[in-house]
Order: sequence, then C-alpha cells, then structure tokens
Amino acid sequence: MAWEYYLVVMLVYLGTDLLAVWGLNLEFGVSGVANLAYIVVVAAGAYTFAICTLGPSSGNGGFQTYIGGFTLPFPLALLAGALAGAVVGTLIGVTGLKRLRQDYQAVAMLVVSLMVATVVSADTGFLNGSAGLALIPNPFADLDPEVARWAYVAVVAFCCLIGFLVLRRFTTGPIGRTLRAMRDDDTAASAAGKNVIGLRLVVQAVGGAFGGLSGALLAGFIGGWSPSAWVYIETLAFLSCVIVGGMGSDRGVSLGTLIIAVLLLQGVQFLPQISSSPGLSEDFGWIILGASTIIFIWFRPQGVLPERRPRYLGKSSSHSPG
Amino acid sequence: MQLIIEAIGFGIATGAVIALGAVGFSVQFGISNILNITYGSLMTLAAYVGLLLINHGVNAWLALVLGAVVVGVVSVVYHRALLAPLVRRGTRAIAMVIVTVSAGIILQYVIVSIAGPESHSYGEQSGSTLHLIGFTLSAGQVAIIVLTASLMLGLHLLLTRTTLGKAMRATSSNRTLARSCGISTDRVSDIAWLISGSLCGAAGVALAITTVSFDFSLGSLFLIPMIAAAVLGGIGQPYGAMLGGLIVGVSSEVAAAVSNPNYKDVVAFMILIIMLLVRPRGLFGAAWSTRRLMEG
Amino acid sequence: MSGDAGTVILDVDRLEKHYGGVHAVDGVSFTVERGSITGLIGPNGAGKSTALAVIGGYVSPTAGRIHFDGADITGYPMHARARVGLVRTFQMARVFGNLTTIENLLVAVPRQRGESAAGILAGKWFWRGEERQLVERARALLDTFGMSTKADDPARTLSGGQKRAVEIMRALMMKPKLLLLDEPMAGLSPSLSRQLEDMLIRLAGDGLSLLLVEHELDTVDRLCGKVVVMAQGRVLSEGRMAELRLSREVQDAYVIG
Ligand SMILES: Nc1ncnc2c1ncn2[C@@H]1O[C@H](COP(=O)(O)OP(=O)(O)OP(=O)(O)O)[C@@H](O)[C@H]1O
Ligand SMILES: [Mg+2]
Repeated sequence: MAWEYYLVVMLVYLGTDLLAVWGLNLEFGVSGVANLAYIVVVAAGAYTFAICTLGPSSGNGGFQTYIGGFTLPFPLALLAGALAGAVVGTLIGVTGLKRLRQDYQAVAMLVVSLMVATVVSADTGFLNGSAGLALIPNPFADLDPEVARWAYVAVVAFCCLIGFLVLRRFTTGPIGRTLRAMRDDDTAASAAGKNVIGLRLVVQAVGGAFGGLSGALLAGFIGGWSPSAWVYIETLAFLSCVIVGGMGSDRGVSLGTLIIAVLLLQGVQFLPQISSSPGLSEDFGWIILGASTIIFIWFRPQGVLPERRPRYLGKSSSHSPG
Repeated sequence: MQLIIEAIGFGIATGAVIALGAVGFSVQFGISNILNITYGSLMTLAAYVGLLLINHGVNAWLALVLGAVVVGVVSVVYHRALLAPLVRRGTRAIAMVIVTVSAGIILQYVIVSIAGPESHSYGEQSGSTLHLIGFTLSAGQVAIIVLTASLMLGLHLLLTRTTLGKAMRATSSNRTLARSCGISTDRVSDIAWLISGSLCGAAGVALAITTVSFDFSLGSLFLIPMIAAAVLGGIGQPYGAMLGGLIVGVSSEVAAAVSNPNYKDVVAFMILIIMLLVRPRGLFGAAWSTRRLMEG
Repeated sequence: MSGDAGTVILDVDRLEKHYGGVHAVDGVSFTVERGSITGLIGPNGAGKSTALAVIGGYVSPTAGRIHFDGADITGYPMHARARVGLVRTFQMARVFGNLTTIENLLVAVPRQRGESAAGILAGKWFWRGEERQLVERARALLDTFGMSTKADDPARTLSGGQKRAVEIMRALMMKPKLLLLDEPMAGLSPSLSRQLEDMLIRLAGDGLSLLLVEHELDTVDRLCGKVVVMAQGRVLSEGRMAELRLSREVQDAYVIG
C-alpha cells in the first residue's frame, strides 16, 4: 500500500535525520563548533557502508568502479560507517588546530565540504565519481518486501535508541557542562584548565560517528549514494533543525528535526506541482529552510525549546560550615 | 616548457578574476568584520544579470559594468537591511556566518527557480587570440587582466589618496576609534559595501565571460579559490588579496596543466589548509589582523 | 604551605613579547614569593596585561623563560598551566553566559571524574559522589561572596561586579597556587572592592600567592608587599609602594605614560 510505504520512508528519514542532527547539535549546539562540513561525515558513512556491503568493483558487469568491495555483513558495515564518520570528523577538526576565530574556522569547513564533493565527483575510480554508487545491498532482501521494510525501520529505531543513550552521556553531567562552557567562551574555558583543542577533536569524532551511522543507514535503505545527495547545503538543513529546535537542547533539536526535516522538507512535495518546472517545489523547500534559519536567528536565537540548565538550589545553602 | 608558460598566462587571467573577487571579499571583512558567504551567490546573481542583458543584445563589457552596479546596490541593501541590524542585536560571529550561508542559499534557489537549473553560456565572447611575450591569450582574457589591474589601481588610489579611503582604512582597523574621531562609520561602510559589492558583481560577470558555460553553482564553487586567495593574502587586507589571487590562479593553472585538470581547485584548497595551519594571518599579516583572527 | 614561605613560586626571566614592531613586553624579569601579594603597576599601555597574558599562557612569548613552582612552564598551553595551579582572571570579566552561576563555579574544577573517559563510559554513579562535594564547596563560596540567591540564574544576567565575583570564585574553585588578577577591582563598588581586598588578604594568609595588576595605588599600598613598576614594556623599578611613591623615575613614568 502506498501510504504504508510512505510511512516507512518517513520513519527511516526521521530516524537518520535525528542521528545526524544529534551529532551536529553535540558539535555546534553544545560545543560551539559550527561544522559546515558535517554532511561530509554523513557521506563518509554512506560510502563506507556501500563499499563494505558491495562485492568487488568488477561485479555486476563492472558498470561502476570503486575501492573496497568487502561484502561484509550488515551490522559490521554499519559500524564501519560510524567509524569512518568519526575518522573523517576528526580530520575535519584539524582545521581548528590553530586557535582561530570560530567563524573563520566555519568558513574553512565550508570550503572543505565544497572541495571533498568536487574531488569525489571528479575521480571516477575512487567512488564512481558523480554517478555515485548503486545496487547497495539491502540486508533484508531475502524477506517479504513488506516485512523487510518494517525490519529496516526497527533497525533504525534501535540505532536511534542506542544513539540517544550515548548522546546523553556527552550532553549531560560534568562533561556536558564543560562542553557548554567551551562553547560560551573557549578562552575562559582554557583558563579554567580545559583542553579546548582536545575536547573539540573528541566532539568532532563522536559527532562524526553519529553522522556516519546516519549516512550508512540511509545508504542501506535507498540502495544508492552519489554526490548529489551530499551537497554542502545539506549541512544547512541539519543546522536549521538545530537552530529552530533549540541549540544545545536534545529535546529541542529532536523537535526541530520533526518540524524542519520531516514536515517542511517533505511537506513541500505536497505543493501543487507546476508541470513546466518539476524541481520548483524542492527549490521552495530550500528557500523556506534558509529563511526560517535567518528568522530564528533574528527573533528567537534560543529556538522553540531552549536549552535548560539543572538547578542546584535547596537544602544546605543556609547552614554551610564556617 | 611551452605548456607551462601558457599555463602561467592562463593563470594570470584566472588569477585576475580571483583577485577581483578576493579583494571585494576582503574589503567587506575588513570594514564590517563579517565573513560574507553570500558573496558567492551574489557573483552568481551578477552572472545571470549579465546573461539577461547579453540575451537582449547588450555588449558583454557593458553587461559587466551593469552587473557590477546591480550587485553593488544589492550588497549595500543586504548589509543595511539584514547584516548590520543583526550585528547591532549582538548576534555572534558564528551565527553571522550561518546567516550569510542561508541568505546565499536563498538567493541561489531564487535564481534557480527563475532561470532554471540548466547551464547557460554567454556565447563566444573571447574574441581573437593574442600572442604576448610567449603567452597565448584570448582578447577577452587580456581585457579582464587589464580591467582588474585598473580596478586595483583605482582602489589603491582611493585607499591612499582620498579622505574617503583614509576613513575606510581607519574604520577597518578600529571602528570605535574611527567613530570617536568624527568619521561617519555608517556612511563609510555603505560606500565600502557598494565598492566591494561592485567588485563582486564584476568578478561574477568576468567569471561567466571566461568560462565556457555556467549554472547556479558558479559562485559557490568560486568560493574555494577566492577564500584561499583572501586567506593567503591575510584576510581583510586588499593588497594581500590581489597578490593572493594571482598566486592561487597561476599555481592552480600550472598544476592543472602538468596533472589532471579536474584537480585545479585542489591546489587552492591545499594553499588554504596549509595557511590555516601554519600562518593563518596570511603571508604578510600585520599584527592587528592576527588579533582579529585569533579568538578572544 | 607556610613551611615554604619565602621561596619563589614564579620566576619571570627576560620575558619579551613583540607584536610586529610593538615591543609590548621588552625584557621583563621579576619574581613572586610564595604566599605574597605582588603588585604590577604602570601607566596605560605599559604592557602589564600582555605580561600577565604571557605568564598565563594566553599568548606565547617572543623570548624569555617562565618558571613556576620549580618547573619551566614556558611551553605549556594555558590549560596545562591552570592544571598545575597557575590561574588567571581577565581584565574584562568572562563568564560562561548560558551556564548558571553555580555551574560556572562547578565547571572550573580541573580533572573531574565526570569529564574523564571513564566517567563518560561508566555514567552517573561513577561521578555522583565527587559532584556532591563540588556543589557543597561552590555553595560555601557563593555564601561568602553573598551570591547564594543568584546560584541558579544564568551568568549572562549578572551585573558587571557580579561577573567579576564569579570569575574570582571560579578561580578559587580550582585551588590555585598562584592567582594572576588583572585589575580585579575595576567596576566594583567601593564597598565591594573593600570586601574583595579583605578576601585577598585572607587568601594570601592561607598561603595563596597573588600577582595583581592594579591602577589604584592606594589599593596597591594596602595589599602588596612587593610592587613591580612597568613602563613601555620594561621594569622600571621594584620595591615597596611607600618607597616607590618617592621615586622620581616612577613619578615621571606616570606623568608621561
Ligand atoms: N594583540 C596585540 N596586538 C598588537 N599590539 C598589542 C596587542 N596587545 C597589546 N598590544 C600593545 O601592547 C602595548 C601594551 O598593552 P597592554 O594591554 O599590555 O598594556 P597595559 O599595561 O595592560 O595597559 P592598561 O593599563 O591600559 O590595561 C600597547 O601598546 C598595546 O597597544
Ligand atoms: Mg591592561
């Protein structure tokens, strides 16, 4: 049934978007690193998943060329995707090794994103260039298609559950507090003994793993992955979820993902189609996305559900010793 | 050897366009401390304005001038209406970058929804081929080199010989101090955005003239060599950006000639990353630019 | 601590910091005794803040060496200096604006269990105990500074004087050996700065060493044993405030500077 298929697609997109947005929120909303190359870690996860599950490049009549082709089982390929995201995320973090202004570093990352896309598109022997990779095996191909779809939803849900538990370990408690302090004022944070550069690299690795897992799950579901799927502006879609939902707030950015990634970007597909220009609704999606980001930065930079801080008031403040 | 000499000639032509863009970008950063990523999409806008004019029979060089004027005015309005108020509201630099990226995407997709996603071309604009001191260049390329050189000279005279230029430099290096010296910094920054916006527009049309065909991604891809040039020269410093543009242009054309043309931008990118890690204040960076680039 | 009194905790040796052609610090040498309050004074632009920034590790020196507590720390990054007990505050108070006041104090403690890899892996039970103790310490500090009622307010909503107090409390949470203070009284009301003076004297009595940049010479007189006078990047003179006031050289520097 069509609606059921559509529901599955929406759920998988929601799950993969949530993972990516959580990772980016950890980097940007919580730690203050505006990783404008975030989509590159998603792509790293997707490509790694693809070359791990696909057979050797010569298979299928050799119509696509790529490195790897390891025919690994699904769970291992997912792990490899997350790991690739972590490695690439850390490499992107190298742009921040010098204590540069944050906006300057963000622009450097934007250039990284443009550059990686150009190189991967141009080199057909590496990851099949701009045509991208197709026929990425579905792990549940042997099952009844109906069951297979819901099985995939279950896998995504499970990854989200694990992801959320891991995420909370970083965004709450003393480490969450330290990362937020670094975001608010990184100079004062290093004066308070925090190794800002080290923490940023760790955060880039963890956030990268989230993005990588997201990309791997997406590639496994769609069955294909190409440079058109990870243009630099895709990062802005995730950033927009963070900003609209509430920077630094795990609940907030989850709501933001629901609003932006699912309702808005999928919703524009229901706009009346103009037959002469079929891409128009997608163009509108991007325009609305950019506009909502700016509107929120102007009117409500804290987002729909702002970050909340724990309270420590109570019992013993009146009878402290001495 | 001939190959390399020709590549150097090409590189100077490419470098001229990069310099044109990088200088405008640097002037904007210098005057308002904003890294304006919308710059790329504004170049695209200029290219499409030029296309519209050329399709209506306007001469390519007149189209360049008109494109420059249009984007110059749009830039002033954009800064006045969106960027300056946001800065006044205390928006952090990092959020400003996200705003300019968002605005760039909006502009890019407005262009796509009007002009469509397909590639366009100005048609044959390069004119006859010229042989100059071993270089083989089209008349169009030579014209762009001459144009860039004269614009840079004009900017140099403006910055050094006029009161306005001195006010611009003063505002760049210390805005509050400039204001307390009686300089009307708002007016100065309007003029600076008009000038830098015009350079952006001129660079956009010049880029479209020198490429075979272009689409809506013209400006965003140009961000790679342009930012590399600006960083190489010490971002915020117009003279550095001129030389930076030339270095990036020549080295990427030479690299493209001796290896794979697909990797032209890789050289620019490597320059950018190395500069960021080794000498982020640029080759000739002054102390004040270091202070502005390092956090705190 | 008092057993070590009299020995040197900080030894600055021919320190230089150049910004292009500007020699902001131009061959400065001095020492700070353990448990003492040492003053650093001089006219505007003398290079005091720059000297403090170099000692604190915020900028790296062009030349010279810094010894702290017996170790050469010249190459240490700022956070490593903070961890060995060399802590600084800023001329413009800096707080973590979106954290609450009490969180600003809690976050400052180095090497917390909850920040470590083990703490992240193991979860709350691993760091809960330590956290409880830190909260107690932070509450006690807030009490002594009279800021308990602000404990759960976001730090960005505090007044300038309160932010400065937060910065000093944050530094104290780190249990420093030497505290570098850049004009801590600036922007405080007269009564608050008297309170802070008393507090600093008490801290020094408990064995904390202080290096204090201050414009108000009467304050320096009351607080500091030794005073180092800087002008144009160099040390002009060194001694007790009462003697320095009489020095021709120092008077000239203040007039010209
Ligand atoms: N990052 C920098 N780049 C260039 N010059 C600098 C920089 N920091 C300080 N200076 C210069 O170094 C000199 C010393 O400055 P510094 O702030 O250390 O003086 P100060 O003694 O703290 O003055 P004040 O009493 O006003 O705080 C000044 O001339 C200043 O302009
Ligand atoms: Mg000072």
